Amino acid sequence: MEDVSSRIVEKAIGLGCQDAIADVVTNRSYQIRFAQNEAVISNRWRESTASVFFVYEKRVLASDIKDLSRADEAVERLVKIAKGSQQNPDYAGIADGPFRYARVRPDPKVLSLDEGGKYVEAAIGGATDEGAKECAGSFWKYEDEHFLATSNGVEGHDHRASLYLSIRALLSLESSGHGIACATRLSQFNPEKAGRKAGRIAALARSPKPGKAGRYTVVFDPLIFGSLTDQTGGRLGAWTVMAGLSPFGKKIGKKVASPQLTLYEDGSGESIARKRFDAEGVPTRRNVLVNKGVLKTYLHNTSTAKKFRTKTTGNAGLVSPDPHAIFVKPGDRSRDEIFSEVKDGLWLTNTWYTRYQSYVTGDLSTIPRDGIFHIRKGDVVEAWKDIRLTDNLLHLLKNIEALGDEPEQMMWWGEVSIPNSVPYARIKDVGITKSAE
Amino acid sequence: MEDETDLANFALDYAMKKGVSYAEARYEHQEQENFILKNGVLDALYVGQDRGVGVRVLVNGAIGFAATNLRTKSDVRAIVDDAIKVAKASRRKTKITFAHEDAIEMNWSIPEQRKLADVSVEEKIAEVQSVDRDLMALGLKIPARFFQFSDNRIVKFFANSEGSRIRSYSPRLRVFYFLTVTQDGQVEQTYRNYGWSGGWEGIAEWDLRKRVIDEAKSMQRSLVEGKKSPEGKMDLVAGPQVAGIASHESCGHPTEADRVLGREASQAGKSFIPPDGIGMRVGSEVVNVVDDPTVEHAIAYYRTDDEGVKARRRYLYKEGRVTEFLQNRETAAAMHTRSNGAARAVNYNVEAIVRMANTFVEPKDHSVDELLEDVKFGVYMKSFMEWNIDDKRYNAKYAGREAYLVENGEVKHPVRNTIIELTTPAFWSAVDAVGKDLDFEAGFCGKSDPGQALDASLGGPTIRLRNVYLR
Repeated sequence: MEDVSSRIVEKAIGLGCQDAIADVVTNRSYQIRFAQNEAVISNRWRESTASVFFVYEKRVLASDIKDLSRADEAVERLVKIAKGSQQNPDYAGIADGPFRYARVRPDPKVLSLDEGGKYVEAAIGGATDEGAKECAGSFWKYEDEHFLATSNGVEGHDHRASLYLSIRALLSLESSGHGIACATRLSQFNPEKAGRKAGRIAALARSPKPGKAGRYTVVFDPLIFGSLTDQTGGRLGAWTVMAGLSPFGKKIGKKVASPQLTLYEDGSGESIARKRFDAEGVPTRRNVLVNKGVLKTYLHNTSTAKKFRTKTTGNAGLVSPDPHAIFVKPGDRSRDEIFSEVKDGLWLTNTWYTRYQSYVTGDLSTIPRDGIFHIRKGDVVEAWKDIRLTDNLLHLLKNIEALGDEPEQMMWWGEVSIPNSVPYARIKDVGITKSAE
Repeated sequence: MEDETDLANFALDYAMKKGVSYAEARYEHQEQENFILKNGVLDALYVGQDRGVGVRVLVNGAIGFAATNLRTKSDVRAIVDDAIKVAKASRRKTKITFAHEDAIEMNWSIPEQRKLADVSVEEKIAEVQSVDRDLMALGLKIPARFFQFSDNRIVKFFANSEGSRIRSYSPRLRVFYFLTVTQDGQVEQTYRNYGWSGGWEGIAEWDLRKRVIDEAKSMQRSLVEGKKSPEGKMDLVAGPQVAGIASHESCGHPTEADRVLGREASQAGKSFIPPDGIGMRVGSEVVNVVDDPTVEHAIAYYRTDDEGVKARRRYLYKEGRVTEFLQNRETAAAMHTRSNGAARAVNYNVEAIVRMANTFVEPKDHSVDELLEDVKFGVYMKSFMEWNIDDKRYNAKYAGREAYLVENGEVKHPVRNTIIELTTPAFWSAVDAVGKDLDFEAGFCGKSDPGQALDASLGGPTIRLRNVYLR
């Protein structure tokens, strides 16, 4: 496959392109979806694709070549189309290689894992032990292998494999909890723990009462805090800022969060998103995005970096820069301390459907799902339902009061699209609304 | 490399020899062009060709699915083996079955007055750029904007072990735009999404230039003249975009049978409507909401679904009551009924699940003026920006983008950020009149794991709600 990448790049350059990238990816992932405590479908993929990026006199073209046996033909067709396209004056090239990459190899036990049923059963067993009646979710073995070549001397190989399980446990339609297990090593994969957490929250959420609107101090479980940090990291890409989709525009060097919050992006860190290089072949690295509440940088590829007069952060996608994985620096509070310091507030465990009235101001709302709890003096006094978090992203970040000392890796279908390593968090003065009577 | 018909037939023959009780093969070839014009600059052009085969089998009451883009018989044999292997490993206690369907043989295609394949990418870019130029000629402060254009030409061949053989061609066109307008430190943002099944003539049908310019002008007016929206109980006249999102979110999603049965519980959620909820009242007697894949030129038009079932109109709510769930063959069997042709997949490499197509409030006979004329005090909300709904599809919120105060039947000044935050029954029960100005927008509907963001239309005429709480 290295040969295919190099051949595509050479062909594009031979046809007159100045820059060319080819990332040949083989996907061998495997999934079990389950519902009502049983598998509903099992999926397996065998796919090979070349993601390509060609530039002819600042005319930028991206594509996926699916038929690798006819790659030469495809390159000829694509370069012809690129030549007829328009120039992008903001285009500033791709990174100069070659680069040295960290030695990272997937766990052989993950690679050889061929059957995931026992992990699904372990998760469901954990949840039902805690009282859940109905469980649904997904088990994934992700496996893909990348062979990257660029016209600037990059050659990279990255074999990635990881395990993931997401489980929602229910006692009834309105009593539910969610748990997540992520690992790059089989020995660290603990679906039963995820199931037990989902089941415990579901049991605690039995017979919820309609919630009350107001402003509250809220304990964010890692899954919902991951949603908040996902929103934050996702809105720090330079392209996103330029498109008007971010409240962080013109805020470099300014306070955007509480001093409690230090947030970094790191594709090289331990997470199921770990990768050796970005789409230009730049080695992934740790980028401090927010340091003690102050915004330090946006995420860049070579072109956006030039526009912002800085250097690439190693976050290139084929067109726009994006985060690989987000990490929150842990705080100094135990989970018990996070809760016990709340006199009268809420504990939220999950959310979805975060939408903005204005991306520039950060005005948003999101709908908590799964366990919602009213807490007094740190103890759950009642389960709630039917509330909405209506606030502002910057206001929420600035009102972080305390962070837990044990981060957990979160990724979820709904709102945590990239892996986030996050602890419990406590945020004051959070707006809660509900449907009118 | 093999012909798609041969590959599909080979997959079925091989699967049946291996002893499966049902097999289907779905070949798909998608040709896409996509570009983003950001702040007047062509960011990048994406041109893609995607083709491959997905095989679904039923073995011992369990479903296995596998897919490949490697189109040789040995690769197809490998995915059939994969699908059977993973299905057998499922060890289900309750057996999945599929509701009966007659086998059909059919070829269908959506006509194009001017074929998308015959329109150069230069012409497509030039068309969007000219709209952008006219927008900027208004002289408004627009610090950020982008247009995303995409077209997709989809060829499918479906075959199953029951004898169905269906070939189809669907050309689709879509434009999404996002605008930011500012004035004196205030900001308004909007996005709109238009879709079309057919050829390049769709561009003219949308009248995109007028829509974009009218939208920008209304944003500016809202910034200059807009006042705080009134709070309290009052009448609401909601335009087609608002009716469309409400019909999709609080009528279409809760009537998806897979959601009702819990198959989506961990992802898109469940439904406030129970499995025995047919007949349940959720709205007033004037409320009819339908989902119809046969609306010509709507972006989710199809004649057969991705399980080979013929498409038809479905009444989700009729006279305010739940009338029908959206079904595929798996959910239909579980509910002892028949599929109504709602199975769709975003591509060959994912399973077909229960999906909406073109969902809308069925129009009646009022003009917009008639709907407004006896509103003593209320808000006319033509469009929205922020919206969301909970995972049981009961608590929804729509925040106004273009909205006006209405007094004694007269439309007055713009009001900003009007909030509708109501339960599904409260919203639909308050509807007392339905207009005739049916209009559609396109959307991407998200569901399933791996996620399938699928083409859908959302629409309706203007509707009037009495005495609802707004803020």
